[in-house]
Amino acid sequence: MIHCLNSYDGRKSMRVKFTLTIGAIILMAMMSTGRADPAAGQAVFKARECVVCHYTEGPAREKTIEDQLTKKGPELWYAGDKFQADWLAGWLLDPKPIRPMKFNSLTEENAGDHPSLNAEEAATVGEYLMSLTSGEVKAGTVKVKRNSKGRQIFTKKMPCSGCHQYTGRKKVIAGGRSGPSLVDAGVRLNPDWILAYLKKPKVFKPIKMMPVFVGLLSDKDMANVASYVGNFKPKKK
Amino acid sequence: MIMKKTTIVAGLAGIICHLLVAPVSASDTQTVYKFYCAQCHGLGGKGDGPNVTKDFPVSPRNFTDAAEMNKLSDADMKNVILDGGPSASKSPMMPPWGKTLTGEEVDGLVKHLRTLCKCEGKKS
Repeated sequence: MIHCLNSYDGRKSMRVKFTLTIGAIILMAMMSTGRADPAAGQAVFKARECVVCHYTEGPAREKTIEDQLTKKGPELWYAGDKFQADWLAGWLLDPKPIRPMKFNSLTEENAGDHPSLNAEEAATVGEYLMSLTSGEVKAGTVKVKRNSKGRQIFTKKMPCSGCHQYTGRKKVIAGGRSGPSLVDAGVRLNPDWILAYLKKPKVFKPIKMMPVFVGLLSDKDMANVASYVGNFKPKKK
Repeated sequence: MIMKKTTIVAGLAGIICHLLVAPVSASDTQTVYKFYCAQCHGLGGKGDGPNVTKDFPVSPRNFTDAAEMNKLSDADMKNVILDGGPSASKSPMMPPWGKTLTGEEVDGLVKHLRTLCKCEGKKS
């Protein structure tokens, strides 16, 4: 009987050791590949009260202009479609204004006072946000390049430049100030999402200050715009 | 009893009729204007929204300029709102809002612009 118990204890001890070893391996594998647990990022997102200004569960909730104006910050339920992962983690660490104007304001400048996260928080929240997707964006659709047709639409035919800043000729920042800046947008935004956003505005932002271009621009022209904007990157020195 | 029922039916019919024919309220139209138009035309309609920087290629229309606004009919304004500046040989910086706004919102905006210019405009 004593022998049996000892044998049982021994097996139990072996099992505990095995479990701990497997756990450590998984943890090390996650750390070595840089993959964190989105749930951990979600916990930080809540703890840092990001939820006060950003909602993270789709689908889009806005049905009226008032709904949109009530929001304090952009919705993030499709952040994983919209952003580039490296940019997002870097921005959370050191947030710089994306919009010239304060969110939902035409009179107040953006004060650039978005809270920053420490390196660990930024990495884990970034992982969490990149896990949020809509299922409406087809990967690998848009080829980013110097797209003259996209440029023509962006600056002349349906001038996105009227509301969005971009780097114009001679590296001068040009364009309007009511929309988010698109300077170096190719580093920030996923070009496939830009196309999806133009094609399916009701999915991502049913109420927004930007006109709906569905029925005005062909899918091909929208892809040209996405390709052109996706190529907005810092010039190599 | 019959009188009471008749009164209720008449009351309900009145409410339904009111809902069907009620125009967009002024506050709704002002909200629409502030949300979509003011970014270029300014909250007061003077053509001085935040998009109008020194390199903005055209001057958005000043809706308070009665002399200029009187040159346009309501139909002219409606067309430009729906189809954009090029539909009236004007700048494409005025985008087409026909796929964004409802007909009711566009009609409301035209009326709102007339209150800004305090003018009746060209009769079409």
